[in-house]
Amino acid sequence: MDTVVLAQQLTNGLVNGMTYVLIATGLTLVFGVLHIINFAHGEFYMLGAFFTYFAAKLLGLDYISAAVVATLGVAVLGILANRLFFWPLRREHEFTVLLSSLGLALLLTNGGELLFGADPKYVNSPFADNVVEVGQLVVTQQRVLIFGVGAVVLVLLYLFIKHTRVGKMMRATAQNPEGAALTGVNIRFVYTVTFVLACGLAALAGALVGPTAMIFPTVGSWAVLKGFIVVILGGLGSIPGALIGGLLLGVVESLAGGYISLGFAQAIGYAIIIGVLLWRPQGLFGTARRA
Amino acid sequence: MGRYFPLVAVAVAIVLPLLTTNTYFHHLLVLWMLFSLLALSLNVIIGYIGELSFGHAAFFGIGAYVAAILGMHTGLPGVVELILAAVIAGAFGFAIGYVALRIVGPQFAILTLGFGSIIYTITNYWVDLTRGPMGISNIQPLSVSGDFLALTGARGYYYVTLFFVVAFAYACYALMSSRTGRAFIATRENAPLASSLGIDVFRMKLLGFVVATAVAGVGGALYAHYLTVVTPDVMSLQYMAALIIMVIVGGRGTIAGPIIGALIYVGLLEALRAVGPMRLVIFAALLTLSVIFLPGGIVSLWKRWFGESEAAPRPAEEGGAS
Repeated sequence: MDTVVLAQQLTNGLVNGMTYVLIATGLTLVFGVLHIINFAHGEFYMLGAFFTYFAAKLLGLDYISAAVVATLGVAVLGILANRLFFWPLRREHEFTVLLSSLGLALLLTNGGELLFGADPKYVNSPFADNVVEVGQLVVTQQRVLIFGVGAVVLVLLYLFIKHTRVGKMMRATAQNPEGAALTGVNIRFVYTVTFVLACGLAALAGALVGPTAMIFPTVGSWAVLKGFIVVILGGLGSIPGALIGGLLLGVVESLAGGYISLGFAQAIGYAIIIGVLLWRPQGLFGTARRA
Repeated sequence: MGRYFPLVAVAVAIVLPLLTTNTYFHHLLVLWMLFSLLALSLNVIIGYIGELSFGHAAFFGIGAYVAAILGMHTGLPGVVELILAAVIAGAFGFAIGYVALRIVGPQFAILTLGFGSIIYTITNYWVDLTRGPMGISNIQPLSVSGDFLALTGARGYYYVTLFFVVAFAYACYALMSSRTGRAFIATRENAPLASSLGIDVFRMKLLGFVVATAVAGVGGALYAHYLTVVTPDVMSLQYMAALIIMVIVGGRGTIAGPIIGALIYVGLLEALRAVGPMRLVIFAALLTLSVIFLPGGIVSLWKRWFGESEAAPRPAEEGGAS
């Protein structure tokens, strides 16, 4: 086996994996803190990519500013989504919340198709065409950016949850919402912050990945599926699980795509889930209610 | 109405296509019945087992592809094809249910979504067997053998599908009023308590899941023969969502609910055809509003307005659609 090709595949896999991690972290955060499965999560990824495209095109911003504007814009949309689709249903059955998020997902996908058009678009980035060479490895600057920004954001998120007051409120809510509310935690504020973080992370992933692939309004359903695979693999609600699951999925897909076939790589993520679940139904790091 | 409601409903359903010779109207009726069959089978999982399955469209797709592939390579009679579609879809249901039903709640929903996506992906990429995204076309009409009693018109398919809907609806009704049905409800309402009463919860759920998936397979085979073309799109996320919408908007855990839900789905999409791409946005908005403001589905309106008078046709309602 050619080691250079192998190293190249591993690098590509880690970069793809990092985007899965960014998507899955938001998904797992919303589940871990609020016990909500957000089907519309992928749509915020899609919006992140499209907002970057339009911020660059309509406002004339450079790529970095456009990505920042898009991320902040979608994070603000997260407040709205929470206010309209999740917060009012917090006492309802979990099906109701799940279906409400499914409704939001359909609304955003079809609304996006109406507003943005169904034809694919390309996000321009100055980093997309330049490459970094490390030995015989060749990586585009955009991919280095994806990995670097992803890693920095995850460290910041970890510090935020671990050490800030708001982070402590989130952890308290995750453990016991009623108890947290009794001790004076503003649950409504925690909902808002969690959705802002989750939607912002998804949008950031969209803004970063946009230049490496075509974007179209239905890309969100792809993103949410990858996110679900990762969180099932790592364990719902576990951030370390999202990190390891995401990187693992990226690497395995890349190796399967390189050595077996691209079509097979799409299915292998699901095959991994089945294997893991037969062995550990709660995922690698998670807990699940068993029948 | 009362206890005669089901008989009246069936009589109306039999007369309905005779009222017009408009084939477009007949086409809509066939779609309504096909979706009713699917929604009723999904209702077994959502309403009776109490789990949300996002993989149901995949079993529908398996049934459709079984019929299409068998029709392409063998000259099997239509009846045998329908049975094989049921058996193969049910076998997949067994394998998937065996893995997924060990988990409950949101994780089950995601897992079934994953399985549905595996089957969708395989259908898309296994070009040798399924012709990939192009799909299989020129599927022969449903017949007893060769050209003997071949079904060509929409009206014929309507009656065949109606037969399956009525038979399956009656089976659901009979099941729910039997000992096994009460075991189902006990399992849905409180699984630990049910198992303490000696009910094998896992077996109960698996049984329901396999029956539901086998019926979805029959629906798929009928669909393939009726439209004469199948593509992997029948298993897409859009369809999976649509099926769930029908059951929830109509009223889960009831027999009339999924049938009404299918009618609303088919009717609404046709009625909104004029507004173009906007229709799916309107549709999604309606879904969301109905989930938020009417969690019990349309059927619960009846209950709200007429109180007790609806008891007879929907015995499965007991325990409520929580």
